[in-house]
Amino acid sequence: MKMKDKHIIEILDNASIAALSESELNEIRAHVLECMSCRDAYEAARLSAAVLKSRARVAIEPSPFFQTRVMAALREQQAVESVPAIWRLWRSSKALVSSMAVTTAALAVVSFMLPSQATPVAEQPSVYSAYSVIMDRDADEPMSYEQVLSTIYEDEDDAR
Amino acid sequence: MDLARQAQDGDESAFAEIVRRYSPRVFSVASRFFRQRTLVEEAAQEVFLKAYTQLGSFEGRGSLEGWLTRIATNTCLNMVRSAKRRPEFTVSDLSDDEQNWLEQQSAGDGGEPASVENSLVATDLADRLLSVLSPEDQQALLMIDGEQASIKEVAEATGWSESKVKVRAFRARKKVREAMDKLLSYKNKRASSTAD
Repeated sequence: MKMKDKHIIEILDNASIAALSESELNEIRAHVLECMSCRDAYEAARLSAAVLKSRARVAIEPSPFFQTRVMAALREQQAVESVPAIWRLWRSSKALVSSMAVTTAALAVVSFMLPSQATPVAEQPSVYSAYSVIMDRDADEPMSYEQVLSTIYEDEDDAR
Repeated sequence: MDLARQAQDGDESAFAEIVRRYSPRVFSVASRFFRQRTLVEEAAQEVFLKAYTQLGSFEGRGSLEGWLTRIATNTCLNMVRSAKRRPEFTVSDLSDDEQNWLEQQSAGDGGEPASVENSLVATDLADRLLSVLSPEDQQALLMIDGEQASIKEVAEATGWSESKVKVRAFRARKKVREAMDKLLSYKNKRASSTAD
């Protein structure tokens, strides 16, 4: 079967367009004249190859100071590595450890050294003291009929 | 090898010479992954610091340049992996410049972009298309289709097997072609709606 009768999409995905020979490209061009889907695929592959070539040409050159910068970074790294690990740990956590120590000391002073400021609470009758319960119960108890009458008449006698 | 051996023995000036001699190569590798100078420099510096600490493992079987290229590739891949995710590929934000570039290229023979501006547009378009790929697939495709490197060269630079490189390149080429196809369909639709 000739390429003219086969779809060419797989060929396009298998190799870079730049890697195809002129005869292969001619056969592809002949095929895409008759096959719309392959024509679109070929167009997309051709333009993809063009943008990738442009992207590959982007190359940033090292600055004149790059070598100096790397050597300085290297010396800095060596200086860090030459310090014992325990000292590096202490340097990185110094602030945290110091602040924790100060806080602990302050708490110890507050807890043990300062005299107690607590004042005894004055004894006050509870709202449920025996006195109030008795008084409330007396007030709530309904008065008898005789008590009501005597109270009224006593008031009238007093008025006269 | 002499330079490498001297640097292994602690000769700082030998290592400085290695940095001077091979920094263009390391920058070229880092430029495949990053377009901002600061990122390229950061990556290149990281490569040389790693190389210094790993000098003992360089046995001189291959070239020093090849060894550094592999360190550079892996360092850049790690940096890209740990970086924030890039914006996803969308066709709707196709700029007028990009649309014009695609029009010109469709009409022409797909040759080299004529001007610097056109090169920049093409490079932006490439970055948009490459965003559909994993960093590893980007690397394989850029080297093979962009720089016309061989499968073997990519395998040496990355440490992958040749069959792995082929699979990555095939998959990447297909994805990029499909993404470009979407861009072209969108461009044609936009052009016809403007004409109406």
